[in-house]
Amino acid sequence: MPKFDVSKRDLERLVGKEFTVEEWEDLFLYAKCELDDVWEENGEIYFKADSKDTNRPDLWSAEGIARQIRWALGFQRGLPKYEVEKSDVTVYVDERLKDIRPYGVYAVVEGLKLDEEALKQMINLQEKVALTFGRRRREVAIGIFDFDKVKPPIYYRAGKKTERFVPLGFEEELTLEEILEKHEKGKEYGHLIKDRPYYPLLVDSEGKVLSMPPIINSKTTGRVTTETRNVFVDVTGWDLNKVMLALNVVVTALAERGGKIRSVKVVYPDFEIETPDLTPKSFEVELDYIRKLAGLELSDGEIKDLLERMMYDVTLEDGKAKLLYPAFRDDIMHARDVLEDVLIAYGYNEIEPEEPKLAVQGRGDKFVEFEDAVRELMVGFGLQEVMTFNLTNREAQYDRMNLEYGRDYFNNPPAELVEIENPISPKWSALRNWLLPSLLDFLSQNTHEEYPQRLFEVGKATLIDEGRETKTVSESKLTVVLAQPRVTFTDAKEILDSVMRHLDFEYEVEEVEHPSFIPGRVGRIIVNGQTIGVIGEIHPSVLEKWGIEMPVAGFELFLRPLYTEPYL
Amino acid sequence: MELSYGEKLTLIKLNGLKKVKFEELVKETGLEQVAVMRAVLGLQAKELAKLHERSEKVVKLTETGKKYAEIGLPEWRALRLLRERGKVTLDDLREVLSDDELKPIVGLLRKEGWANVRKEDGKLILEITEKGLKAGERPIDKALKLLAEKGVVPVKEIEKLVPVKELKRRKIGEEETLTEREVEITPEGEKLAPKVELKREVSVLTPELIKSGKWREVEFRKFDIKAPVRRIYPGKKQPYRAFLDKIRRRLIEMGFIEMTVDSLIETQFWNFDALFQPQNHPAREWTDTYQLKYPKSGFLPEDELVERVKTAHERGLAGSRGWGYVWSPERAMLLMPRAHGTALDARQLAKGVEIPGKYFTIQRVFRPDVLDRTHLIEFNQIDGFVVGEELNFRHLLGILKRFAVEIAGAKKVKFLPDYYPFTEPSVQMSAYHPELGWVEFGGAGIFREEMTRALGIDVPVIAWGIGIDRLAMFKLGIDDIRYLFSYDLRWLREAKLVW
Repeated sequence: MPKFDVSKRDLERLVGKEFTVEEWEDLFLYAKCELDDVWEENGEIYFKADSKDTNRPDLWSAEGIARQIRWALGFQRGLPKYEVEKSDVTVYVDERLKDIRPYGVYAVVEGLKLDEEALKQMINLQEKVALTFGRRRREVAIGIFDFDKVKPPIYYRAGKKTERFVPLGFEEELTLEEILEKHEKGKEYGHLIKDRPYYPLLVDSEGKVLSMPPIINSKTTGRVTTETRNVFVDVTGWDLNKVMLALNVVVTALAERGGKIRSVKVVYPDFEIETPDLTPKSFEVELDYIRKLAGLELSDGEIKDLLERMMYDVTLEDGKAKLLYPAFRDDIMHARDVLEDVLIAYGYNEIEPEEPKLAVQGRGDKFVEFEDAVRELMVGFGLQEVMTFNLTNREAQYDRMNLEYGRDYFNNPPAELVEIENPISPKWSALRNWLLPSLLDFLSQNTHEEYPQRLFEVGKATLIDEGRETKTVSESKLTVVLAQPRVTFTDAKEILDSVMRHLDFEYEVEEVEHPSFIPGRVGRIIVNGQTIGVIGEIHPSVLEKWGIEMPVAGFELFLRPLYTEPYL
Repeated sequence: MELSYGEKLTLIKLNGLKKVKFEELVKETGLEQVAVMRAVLGLQAKELAKLHERSEKVVKLTETGKKYAEIGLPEWRALRLLRERGKVTLDDLREVLSDDELKPIVGLLRKEGWANVRKEDGKLILEITEKGLKAGERPIDKALKLLAEKGVVPVKEIEKLVPVKELKRRKIGEEETLTEREVEITPEGEKLAPKVELKREVSVLTPELIKSGKWREVEFRKFDIKAPVRRIYPGKKQPYRAFLDKIRRRLIEMGFIEMTVDSLIETQFWNFDALFQPQNHPAREWTDTYQLKYPKSGFLPEDELVERVKTAHERGLAGSRGWGYVWSPERAMLLMPRAHGTALDARQLAKGVEIPGKYFTIQRVFRPDVLDRTHLIEFNQIDGFVVGEELNFRHLLGILKRFAVEIAGAKKVKFLPDYYPFTEPSVQMSAYHPELGWVEFGGAGIFREEMTRALGIDVPVIAWGIGIDRLAMFKLGIDDIRYLFSYDLRWLREAKLVW
């Protein structure tokens, strides 16, 4: 899902080998990425990487992709090792942030020499992790600072709304409240902290502001450039596991650029932790389980080899593999997740597909077959089939049909619509409960086209049905419209009559009042004492509302009551 | 020799007249002009008659020319006034000339030497000359008179008086080509004509002709079988729906059982929770998932099933550690228009399945997207699953490949790792279409055990979905996805048959 750009040169520098574009296309698959696009810019080749796995933020940057490929090619194997030394930095976390944004975890990375490309990747990773994994910064927000401009210890504290600092992108000081109102990022992310008594603030021992998580960094410390050698990383959020994982992803990516990771002591009111914690995680799988579901004859050794190429440390014991996997991953819940890694290392395209031999017999749904038979019949009348949308709106379904919402027109339509709370557009804000408006909509869009226009649709009308699991039912309906000069009720009835004879049903048409139709030229269709539909000439005021300047006659009926289970 | 009715009639008439103007021949036969021309050309091809055509260039008056013939040329009208008054101002000439005639008049009178021009108090004064007093009929006046009398005059004759160019320049006359046609019978024609038997010609064979046996005495007018005909439109199935029908039939032939459901509305339980998709999953965000305003919530299925799903989410099932959060039944009860056909897989698995078994469904599904040439607000999805004791990843690839061959006509396929919340491992397939190149054609995976176990299935279930929109668009020859649900009757009427 996350997509980002990487330079071929940068990737090759990180992997330590050059490849052709075609080779890269295949190599990307090891990192669960698809190479979406290739282009040249200023003499450099760039790739658009589309990472498939929303649970693998470690693969969302050039560093992560290169690392996985280096392992897959066997340049390195087993668990990646990162040295972590303690720094003497301490961060104190304010108790009052408990209901505002409780967790912050930190690290220092030293000895960096980032060029423009590396800098771009760092910013990209930070953004993508916060956006996708961090749910638009709600669960994870990341700040990276020039460590040399910061004087520890550092405080993650509750800031008063009147405190001020110069945010990135501004030249003058703003109060925290003003940042939410005026700053572009404040407007975008302000809802995450708005209406709390305090706003989160990260400051150093001299009271200098580093950032206002999760909104914006300060202008002085919050800008990292190619000159920056040492950085301070801050990750805040609501779930300690999540922020720890994001921190691990960021610091190990920076370590791939030659940075040295230094841990930081974080003091909470009731406990203390040292972050980042890169202790590997463990898991255990049965080798037979892997073999059976893979459908491949793999020896224990081969499985071990494949897993080592996916950055696992593997110990084989009693038909089991005891695994250690890197602390920048948190997606292994089940042996299946390990199985997929084995298959990716093996290469999906190296596996011979095999069609399962199953003694089964196919069969279609009988009601669908009935609908198909009705459609065939309608085509036989020379009608053009149309397929229209179920999504519509109240205005089209009632107002334009001369109907009153809340009144039941003997179920054609019923009194109420199934409506959507969060539609993309008011035009598509309900599911239709009858089809006639859809067909009039169709006619209204084809007034320039040659008449006669004779149409039908077999489609769904969605009705309220409180007793059902979804409190709704989508009934199959047949709707016919005939638009042509001199068309009358009789033309529609001729078709209806023929349909009924062909389906072998007796029916009656009984005069009713229905404001969508011309009085005296409208009836309900009754089968076995039950009203199944409506037939008539569309009222000229309805035609006027739809902008149709041609008489229209038609009918609409429920198909289910006309269905009888066939023997075959 | 075979002659058409028209040819026969024309030949007979021509035999009496020998040589005749075409227009007269038309009158004689009583046929349409085109029919007689067709007959004459036919007779000529058979060397029974000869068509003589003579073209001549002629001149005739324009509308302006006709006016001048009536009221006189502008220079004459001006001169008459001058003769009356001796001298006039330019303004005085308005009495006899129109605005556009006024402009060139000074030049004209001067050229003819009929008037002298001088300025007096800043005004142009025209004074008649000797020549103007004596002036008589010029060649151009004669030409105008001739044209007014005869209507059309051969160019040759006009040129004796005045160059046609001059008449054209003054917009008096225009040139035209006049064709005169004469038809003459040949000796062969004369020989044949008496032997020609003329029968009544009919254009339509009527039931009366058949009943009375009179059909024996008539000739059937020959049809121009190459003539274009009116476009007519049959009743036919919507092309995209016909395409879906075809895939449905193919899937049934391949051994799949069709699944259906009673509503387009789904509970989040079946759309997400039963598929092991955690309640805080990004796909379940407000922006990515529709919710209903009315009715808001539905019901959950039986407690035991709900309990197993809840456990799978909270603590894990089948050796999984689960998602580790508190699962909310209220959230699961929320209603939405169904977002994917996979929801039906979950329903079917919970209801019970044949093992081994193959299932499919064609479902209308909904996503909060805008409607444009690459996005639909609702669309059809084809997906399903295969369940069996011994199924493995190679089978998954085998099923996908079969789809590519059967449905996309692909010769080559390519598999890519992919991610779905409810399958692991997961695959995306690209199929090599002979004309489209590599097309992303479908996705598949083995349903996660956390999901299948919760639904009461303890054998592997391969889930698949095929992306048919690009194929359908190719098949239907469209590059705007909205045409799948076309509201364009012209396009539907013209669309090629899908079979």
